[in-house]
Amino acid sequence: MQSTAARPTHPTVLYRELVEAAELADRLGFHGIWLAEHRLWYDGYCPALLHAEALVAARTTRIRLGQAMLVGAQHDPAGLARNVATLQQLSGGRVELGLGLGHRDAEFDALGLRRDRRGRRLEEEILPAVEGLVDRIWLGGMATPTLERAARRGHSLVLPQTIYTHELAPILDEYRSLGGRGTIGIMRDTWVAADGRAADRARERIAAHYLEEAGAWWVLKGTVGFENPDQLARQRDRTLRAALIGTPEEIAARLRADVAAGVEVFVLRVDYDFHSQAELLEQIHRLAEEVAPLLEGAT
Amino acid sequence: MRFLIEPVEARSLDHVLRLAEATHAAGLDGVLLTASETLPAPLVVAAAVAARVPDTRLAALVDGGDRHPIQLAEEAAVVDVASGGRVILAVRPAPGREDVYGEVLDLLRLSFAARPFRFEGRHWTVPAGLDQNVHNPERRVRVTPAPAQARLELWVAGGGREQAFPRGLGYLADTSEDDADLQRAWQDAATAPASLGAPRARREHWTDAPTLLARLRAARGAWDQDWAAVAAPVEALREIASVVRPRVQLDRLPPGLEEFWDETEPWRLAGDTPPAGG
Repeated sequence: MQSTAARPTHPTVLYRELVEAAELADRLGFHGIWLAEHRLWYDGYCPALLHAEALVAARTTRIRLGQAMLVGAQHDPAGLARNVATLQQLSGGRVELGLGLGHRDAEFDALGLRRDRRGRRLEEEILPAVEGLVDRIWLGGMATPTLERAARRGHSLVLPQTIYTHELAPILDEYRSLGGRGTIGIMRDTWVAADGRAADRARERIAAHYLEEAGAWWVLKGTVGFENPDQLARQRDRTLRAALIGTPEEIAARLRADVAAGVEVFVLRVDYDFHSQAELLEQIHRLAEEVAPLLEGAT
Repeated sequence: MRFLIEPVEARSLDHVLRLAEATHAAGLDGVLLTASETLPAPLVVAAAVAARVPDTRLAALVDGGDRHPIQLAEEAAVVDVASGGRVILAVRPAPGREDVYGEVLDLLRLSFAARPFRFEGRHWTVPAGLDQNVHNPERRVRVTPAPAQARLELWVAGGGREQAFPRGLGYLADTSEDDADLQRAWQDAATAPASLGAPRARREHWTDAPTLLARLRAARGAWDQDWAAVAAPVEALREIASVVRPRVQLDRLPPGLEEFWDETEPWRLAGDTPPAGG
């Protein structure tokens, strides 16, 4: 949910469109809808995902409600537990709690939290507060401490979208060797394109949006993105190469490769700032009707 | 007088939705959502109601001070945006956090403004400026999204009323706060410029129309109460809307309207006492 220079949108409309997209995904049989969180952001990014998902819960009956990711380390344990319990109750038990660490110092600093203590805070304060959901908790990340934490506590994984398929094996091996028995999920930036031109346009806009965000706000190797143009360009290229942009056949082939490497759940991002709501709904249709049938029997 | 309806029993979303839909259908103003054992986060429930029931105001009574006020502000702003500006946030001091309550209110108001701010209080400093948070530090913060309302409607509740006056905020009194007490408290505040027009509400329990009517008439006389938050079952809503509300209004209207406004239940005009056997 973002209102950007490329697609200015009334903030209230963003939430109406979310509900509309979720209703469609619910009807088409998707397993879940997953939202992303930032706070103190510039474009209307949602800082309270469980509240946004309460809208969805009230208008759908089946689809599960996940977060990729909710910035767990920035929340208050008791407050988060109340919000989760309420959403769990009013949705009939549909919560998939995706917890990430967060990475922007400014978000931690506003709340009086130390970023360098985020792992400890997640471990010692946040996870114990939502213990009841243990097998419905997904930890975001790929670093050893996250894999170890997820394995030890019985949580599943949501891997970042920038990992290439051939890089999955060592990560999953590590998780499994640490005793991890949860489900393996991964985020993938996705766009079903009718032809090469549509694919190029999607690539261009995803790259531009990535550069805007990462350049101005993210910390890459110790500095802000724009101050480190080489690193920023490398990250952009990685994001684009890892993204699933193409025809249904091309996307299905990439998904099959991920499945062969051990991925069990895909969190496919199809909501960006370069398309209309009608195009978003079309993407959801195409994933269900053109891509999913090509995956039958994939293991 | 405006009316918020509070669920008597809020065990499930269905209970709350039935009441919210009936409140809307009866032409009443909104619902008041409070924490219950099974639904402990009223703002999450408010979001769900917003997705199903149009127009109706979504008042949520929450604790303040038990966590960072910015997080409460973010949640209220998201629900306000998602509902098209329907949120009323009533905040009472969390148990044992009375000493930070003033800062809670100030941080909420700063967060609901669309401009960046710095805040240095006794309990919270925003941004904190911790030495360890070195990357891309910000000297001020802007809480996003901005609420849909130009100023998100913020009420003081739970006895924090001395904090309401100087800030010009609305006040939601508990059922137990009596008229004489409220009258004394509001005597000076009522004419203080900051408090002009600030909403004055009290929570009530529905028993029957004459009782509620008597309480509301007295409260309006005592401290100009202009909102009522009534814990009532669905079956009571029509009576609240078509008997209690017009009766409260009638006192301030020219004489002669009674017979037009009281065709359904004429006994209520005669001292608001039902006839024997009625």
